[in-house]
Amino acid sequence: MSPALTLDTLRNCLEGIVPAGLATCAPDGTPNVTYVSQLMYVDPEHVALSFQFFNKTRENILANPHATVLMMDPDTAARYRLSIRYLRTETAGPLFERMKATLAGIASHTGMAGVFRLRGADIYRVLAIEAVPGRQLPPPVARAPLLPALRRSVDALSRCRSLDQLIDTLAQCLERQFGIDYQMLLMADEAGHRLYIVASRGYASSGAGAEIPYGVGVIGVAAREQAPIRIIFPAAEYAYSRAIREQLEGGELAEQLEAAIPLPGLPDPSSQLAVPVLAGDRLMAVLYVESDQLCRFDYDMEDALVALCALLGPSMCALQSEALDDDGTPALPAQPPPDAAAPPLRVRYFDQDGSLFLDDTYLIKGVAGSILWTLLQDHQMLGRCEFSKREMRLDARLRLPEVCDNLDARLILLSRRLEDRQADLRIEKAGRGRIRLVLSRPVSLIAGSAQAA
Amino acid sequence: MTPPPVLTPALADFVTSHLSIHIAASDARGIATLVRGLGCRRDPADRDRLRLLVAGPQAEPVLRCLAANGRIAAVFSEPESHRTVQLKGRDAGPCAPDAADAAFLAPYTDRLVARLATLGTPEPFVRTLLACPVEDLRVIRFTPDEVFGQTPGPQAGQRLSAGSAVP
Repeated sequence: MSPALTLDTLRNCLEGIVPAGLATCAPDGTPNVTYVSQLMYVDPEHVALSFQFFNKTRENILANPHATVLMMDPDTAARYRLSIRYLRTETAGPLFERMKATLAGIASHTGMAGVFRLRGADIYRVLAIEAVPGRQLPPPVARAPLLPALRRSVDALSRCRSLDQLIDTLAQCLERQFGIDYQMLLMADEAGHRLYIVASRGYASSGAGAEIPYGVGVIGVAAREQAPIRIIFPAAEYAYSRAIREQLEGGELAEQLEAAIPLPGLPDPSSQLAVPVLAGDRLMAVLYVESDQLCRFDYDMEDALVALCALLGPSMCALQSEALDDDGTPALPAQPPPDAAAPPLRVRYFDQDGSLFLDDTYLIKGVAGSILWTLLQDHQMLGRCEFSKREMRLDARLRLPEVCDNLDARLILLSRRLEDRQADLRIEKAGRGRIRLVLSRPVSLIAGSAQAA
Repeated sequence: MTPPPVLTPALADFVTSHLSIHIAASDARGIATLVRGLGCRRDPADRDRLRLLVAGPQAEPVLRCLAANGRIAAVFSEPESHRTVQLKGRDAGPCAPDAADAAFLAPYTDRLVARLATLGTPEPFVRTLLACPVEDLRVIRFTPDEVFGQTPGPQAGQRLSAGSAVP
């Protein structure tokens, strides 16, 4: 293998843009040749081929594992032969799910949706790569390099001193450094096996609080498998808004899912990439970016965002625990009292699911609902406006999960949701480790008993 | 009694209708290799035979295998419909291109360019992929003795009996 000719430098050929050919040989010496729906990069020494149908190729590689792939660069038309050796087939897990998602994109791109069904990801070791002689086109104009963009983003993220700032800085870096127009960050609710949007950019509404269950769409699969999922063609079955809708129509999840906050997102994205954000082996969040351009996110972009998220996860973790340190900053001068003459804001809360309504309009449910209700109760009964995160964390009324409570992320979600609703009620920072409830109208608290309609 | 020819008129019409072609051969160690085909036409001297055009430098490993054992597999795919067949033969061998082969290459490429353009494949890409200086042109001649339907789907890979419709 020539030192310059490695799979890492040829990943462009492994995007499924131009179909590759595969030659195998039967035990009696008869050659067989087919088109390969998908040839996928696994690592510098391995590729995966999609196994969809039982056919001669399948029979051959099980009997004689040596095969040759002829693949093409989709930009320059340069050709390469890969000598490969079949190792094993994976029928579940991250690699299988990545291939399944990619294949869905290729299938709909080639008019094969409904025909392609992935049975397995066949893993092959690459024994040799040969450049096939012949004419080539000049390589396309190089886009802005990703490493400087990554470095600037990493620098900016590592300077953040709060989760809130981290989330905003991430969005800004994706926009400015990577030119990404549509993005969302979803925090993981491990106990509930779902993700909730905490921030987004590019959409008409932020969707803060909207939920996606693990396993649904590109985002949900990335969460469940803890693996990046990337599709560079439109793939209807992975458009998560559609997937969610279908699941909701299925009924079973409808009761558990937050459907009242509409999901933002492109209706039919042409490219999608979801990257899990991990701290150790714990899923913190999923970063999702999408585009209306075909082939917008390539392997290198996936690498860059995976690297960025590798810093993001531990930073989220660290900033959430730091956020609990209360520096005892004295309370700022009291807020102007709410306008007593204004009609009170009716806050109705349902204990069963923590759902909370402002003037009969749905706001939020679950832990975030319980948090707001508790703060409002203390405000009403004790006249308090400021709360330390440390005391909140110990307050059983908040119903925080015992481990990984994500209190800070939930407070950010709550404050953004209140902002989206332009409610006469806000949550803002009040010094390190403290938050403040800001009301511009008096409130009247109503504990609902029956499930809200 | 000689079996009916595999290359029926319908099949011959299909495989010569400006399709995307890959050609494979295998060596004595059981390792198969492949090359892109640049064109296909019926051999005027023997209507049961096909002539496949390849670029010599690209096809070198394939030509070497064919010279040794004559066993060939060639897959023909119609880009718009994905209709695909694979032909196999045991008498394949390289032969020198004649003037008709050389004259045939350019129009064949033009047709495939036009076909792929409807699918959004840029013309320069297709022309580059199929580019071959006349002096590099080689011909592989063979008699198909087996045909398999290979249109994607659960039926892919099934042997087609002589005279059955192209899937």
